[in-house]
Amino acid sequence: MISTTAHNGVDAPRPARAGPASDLVLSGVSKSYGSSVAVRHLDLSIEAGHLVALLGPSGCGKTTTLRIVAGFETPDTGEVRIGGVDVIDLPPHRRSLGMVFQNYSLFPHRTVAENIGFGLRMAGVGRAERDARIQSMLDLIKLEGRGDTYPSQLSGGQQQRVALARSLVVNPKVLLLDEPLGALDRSLRESMQFEIRAMQQRLGITTLLVTHDQEEALSMADRVAVMNAGRILQVGAPSEIYDRPQTRFVAEFLGTSNILEGRASSDGRALVVPAAAGGEIVVPLGEPRTPGEALTISVRPERIALGTERQPSVVNIEGRVTGAIFRGTYAAYQVEAPGLGRELFVYRQADGPLGSVAFRLGESVVLSWTPQDVVVVASE
Amino acid sequence: MTEFTLPIAPRRRARPLAMRSVYLIAPAALFLLFFFVLPLADNAMRSFVDEATGAFTLARYAALLTDPFYLRIMGETVLLSAGVTVISLIIGYPVAYFLVRKAGRWSALVIFLLIAPLLTSIIMRTFGWQVLFARKGLVNNLLVNQLGLLEQPLRLTNSVEITIAALVHVLVPLMVLSITSVLQGIDRRLEESAQILGANRLRTFWEVTLPLSLDGIGTGAILVFMIANGSFVTLVLLGGGLQTLPLMIYQQFNTTRDFGMASAMSMILLVIAIACLWLQLRIVRRRGA
Repeated sequence: MISTTAHNGVDAPRPARAGPASDLVLSGVSKSYGSSVAVRHLDLSIEAGHLVALLGPSGCGKTTTLRIVAGFETPDTGEVRIGGVDVIDLPPHRRSLGMVFQNYSLFPHRTVAENIGFGLRMAGVGRAERDARIQSMLDLIKLEGRGDTYPSQLSGGQQQRVALARSLVVNPKVLLLDEPLGALDRSLRESMQFEIRAMQQRLGITTLLVTHDQEEALSMADRVAVMNAGRILQVGAPSEIYDRPQTRFVAEFLGTSNILEGRASSDGRALVVPAAAGGEIVVPLGEPRTPGEALTISVRPERIALGTERQPSVVNIEGRVTGAIFRGTYAAYQVEAPGLGRELFVYRQADGPLGSVAFRLGESVVLSWTPQDVVVVASE
Repeated sequence: MTEFTLPIAPRRRARPLAMRSVYLIAPAALFLLFFFVLPLADNAMRSFVDEATGAFTLARYAALLTDPFYLRIMGETVLLSAGVTVISLIIGYPVAYFLVRKAGRWSALVIFLLIAPLLTSIIMRTFGWQVLFARKGLVNNLLVNQLGLLEQPLRLTNSVEITIAALVHVLVPLMVLSITSVLQGIDRRLEESAQILGANRLRTFWEVTLPLSLDGIGTGAILVFMIANGSFVTLVLLGGGLQTLPLMIYQQFNTTRDFGMASAMSMILLVIAIACLWLQLRIVRRRGA
């Protein structure tokens, strides 16, 4: 991440009316359309100056939640507080928000400078101050001298930056980002992730990011809220969400997970997974559980070591390679464990020669991991 | 096109195929040539030829463009069309907006109601207006006999107002449909962006929606203007003493029997129509670029 101290006050244009950042609190927010429930009694709070990503599959209610904050939708129940003030009764234009849409939504009939200055003009900011603030924004987004061009003459990334500048120039209390990078190329997306995050931190603006892209959420957010079927399943720091998923849905939605189901052993220190032909596979757990309890566990593919020999004092499962894919920085393997009746995924750093995979199809291998790599998740 | 259908074929072979596709439009082209282009050319010739001597002359155009009588007629024609256009726009825009933004699943019904007047014959429609507003028509009957608001029936037919109303009645759908197609293409998120940036509904409409629908307004206005300019039946039946170019052309052909003058007038009407089309193409092309 780009250092914030290096830029503060040196070349960063200072917002002219920057007040203290506001926090955003949603409590008990529900919204239904007819018989379909979009958002179920949702609680979410964003500390002032933080970026929270609302992450979930399409149709999970994340966009509805964002539109409720924006004021385009009215919730059936609940409160939306910005800086402690309930804004439910305020129309969108009086909520002092900034918003960036997936397709940028720049006004096609206005120049870049007019687009950026739109909010200032609506707020009645005088021409001289307006021009100065537009200029500093153009500098900030590295589009100096392009103020007189029209949005259609800019590249996707440039349009995205103009959209960001347009929403930030008015010093909004909260910035809303609706799939902001969805329309960009993969390579551009990564650099924009850095850029938006750097700008958000530099300005210290409270931000709600809505995305279905887990990588975007993990890399940009202070905290990630995973949402499904109108509910927030888990909120936490990106690493916490990734390493300690509380539910099966979270484990599977973020990255890939190997999910195993079974019962706790009689001493509660292992998971017993029923295997074919009456056998069983015993997986030691990091923390003891109630004996006999039905359990679901998740093991991340990159936590599993792949070798040809059993490792001492860890979990060892023997299997056969049924799939091997080279993915640049790592190789992905599918390994069938006899008796388990299913395949496990393993990621292995690509340390061999370029374009190679270390294990061949059909090769017998041993999968090993430590009990600390096992996460017990709720089965839902 | 042929390059796509025959990607492997050598380029030389594409030519006969391209020629063959010309034959497809030949019937229509021939029809238009004999029944549209040639008569039009004949008409144009007639307007430039002195009937007595057979010599080339610009006298008719000189008369049309300098004589106050003709200038007044042309002015009246354009003024009437402009008035009809403006009224159609004022009535049509809200309807188009409602259709796109509010009607939802009722939009098909609204469109049907809009187009319905176009499905009736123009004669029927015009007589309908006469029946409605005649001396002993429905409106006067209501005002004088039923409500007793007036002593004398109003003279409503043969008035400029009724003529304008009848023209607007037919032409509003064209305005509405032109604006509707453009409004439908406006991304709602542009309006939402304006709102988030502090614009209330009125401001949003003024700053975003209206400027972005100018194309539709332009297309609709030019369409309405052109058709109003050439309208004839409505003016003959409801006219109210209005004298417009189409009426004058009719008069020259049937009463005065000055074919040359009638031809010159129709050429001027044609030039106005072509100018309108050119204007529309320019607007669309500028926006598209």
